[in-house]
Amino acid sequence: MNPRIVVANLIVSIKSFYRARSTMFFMIAFPIILILVFGALFMKQDNMSFDLCVQDLDHTDSSAQLVKTLDLDGRFNVIKIDPAINATQYTKDNKLNLVLMIPEGYEGSFLQRMALHNPDASVTLTYLYDPSSIFVSMKMQILNSVFAGINQKMSGKPPFIRPAETSILAKKYRFIDFFVPGIIAMSVMTLSLFGTVNLNTELRQKGVIRKLSTTPITRTDWILSNILYQFILAVISTMAMLLVSYAVFRINLHIDAWLPLFIVLDVFAFVGIGMILTRFAKEAESAAAAANAISFPMMFLSGSFFPLEMMPGFMQTVARILPLYYVNEGLRASMVFNDHMAALRYAAIIGVFAAVVFILGIIATNWEEGQ
Amino acid sequence: MAKEAEYAIVVENLTKRYGDLLAVDDISFKVRKGEVFALLGPNGAGKTTTVEIIDTIRTPTSGKASILGMDVTKRKHEIVPRIGVLPQGFSSFDRITVRETIQYFSRLFCCRKTDVDGMIELVNLKDKAQEQYKNLSGGLMQRLGIAIALVNDPEVVFLDEPTTGLDPRARREVWKLLLGLKEKGKTIFLTTHYMEEAEFLADTVAIISKGKIIAMGSPEALIERNANYLVLTLKPVDEKAIEIVRKMGFEPVRDNHRDIKVRVEHMDDVQKILNTIKDGGASLLSLDVRRPNLEEVFLKLTGEALRKNSAGGVAE
Repeated sequence: MNPRIVVANLIVSIKSFYRARSTMFFMIAFPIILILVFGALFMKQDNMSFDLCVQDLDHTDSSAQLVKTLDLDGRFNVIKIDPAINATQYTKDNKLNLVLMIPEGYEGSFLQRMALHNPDASVTLTYLYDPSSIFVSMKMQILNSVFAGINQKMSGKPPFIRPAETSILAKKYRFIDFFVPGIIAMSVMTLSLFGTVNLNTELRQKGVIRKLSTTPITRTDWILSNILYQFILAVISTMAMLLVSYAVFRINLHIDAWLPLFIVLDVFAFVGIGMILTRFAKEAESAAAAANAISFPMMFLSGSFFPLEMMPGFMQTVARILPLYYVNEGLRASMVFNDHMAALRYAAIIGVFAAVVFILGIIATNWEEGQ
Repeated sequence: MAKEAEYAIVVENLTKRYGDLLAVDDISFKVRKGEVFALLGPNGAGKTTTVEIIDTIRTPTSGKASILGMDVTKRKHEIVPRIGVLPQGFSSFDRITVRETIQYFSRLFCCRKTDVDGMIELVNLKDKAQEQYKNLSGGLMQRLGIAIALVNDPEVVFLDEPTTGLDPRARREVWKLLLGLKEKGKTIFLTTHYMEEAEFLADTVAIISKGKIIAMGSPEALIERNANYLVLTLKPVDEKAIEIVRKMGFEPVRDNHRDIKVRVEHMDDVQKILNTIKDGGASLLSLDVRRPNLEEVFLKLTGEALRKNSAGGVAE
């Protein structure tokens, strides 16, 4: 390896990048847009409240008290609808997914139970719902739990089973705190993989690689300068993502030496894969398609966006053979859980993988044509 | 008999196959130090494959090539710093300027003393020094490619079709540049399908066709050996002249410009033809007598034109 050649190559790559303003913008903007969009989505989920339409056919103090109880619960934004209208038609017309109907006679039954202690007195509240809505079952479950609490209070006996919540984390974390490390891992992967594939296939098609093969630059010099270049881009991109995440979502993450280490390993692994792909996919289009075929399943299966627990068992097994999974888990172990042993374990696994693909990348890189 | 040390390049029984295609078929030749050697042939004849084996881009199927006494397949890392290469269809980094490109390639060769300004002046790109590569015209790109091929002050320079795609003026500028290199004592290995380029620049020309070298020597010797006649070109006023020449037993042919070309053995034949035309009452607008060129040599040897639409062939 010749450091002078590596630096010369790096300077050319950085100048080319700096002068391609649109590429620079999208490289930084894309992960930030992802964080803003998903972050906004998940922030809402952290403090989720649903619209709940209520038709109070009883129109009494007791039914109004029930509506107030639902409103005060905090999980619903109660919208009252006119008792005179046809609720079913109204639900269809307004594309509502759930309307709670309080029947006429609610107060009568309530007084029967509470004042006259008639244990047989009861009331049926109707859920008028659209089964095709993905949120309706969640709404009904929350309503059921609210009504279960009311029933339990009315019985006058304290509950036997009382759940207690104890977080395993020292601090209170939100979903966005888990999401950002995944996006960092994914962005570094796409930058490194597509950056390497695009650069190498373009230069090969234009004949620049053929010219380089008649100079003293070696395959190792070339790949190392590619890795250094992608590392610099990854650092810029990661810093931008963290700054936006701190500014917009006030994320709560540990930043220590593990972060640059995992970025380096991520870059090594995916530049290596990119080099291997470039060898076998000669055309720019087929190389980009191959890179997509690798990166897209990896994005979704390795837990960058969604927790692995959401996936079927066999897919969780598949995730554990994907290199991005170990970068995701390693970054979360260090940035979220501050668990150095787990971070070390994940770093060791991805480190071995990165070393293997780096060596394979060097072997696969072949500038001599027509062997 | 020249000693081996006098040769910059020695090629022995070189063969290159791509599957069933035999691109280079058992060729051998030697290039003297300080000479301009041109490999002349039509597209697909095997020129680029040959030069790319010699300048270490490709590996041969069999045979041997050496540069400055070093085997190209075994001592590439020693050869590379001593050669300069302009590959076919040369291209560079789009957003890097002329000056930066020369500096970059200079750094690859670890040349601390490269006179970047001198290189820029050599290829007459001073006005374009700060221009990005993507904004250069084809001719300027080729000139930059030649500058890059020279950054390491090589002993042997390989130029694969350095003027293809250039307009005549740009081509002349490149020729001038190459003559300057020759004066500096560089060995130049040139591939081209322009016979005038080979004739103008080369000390030795090797004609390649279908992977085989079919003739080799100085342009003069090749013409003397393979086309020892004269070409008389007549621009007639009407159709009478061609009939008169035909009746004299010659075989006149029309070229692309409707001129009559006649192959004759001696100057006496020219005189006889002119006298007969005059006596026959035909008139001429102009006439020209010249020796054949390499195009005609190639045509004679292969039965094919060097380039499509090339005019200049004379019937055998």
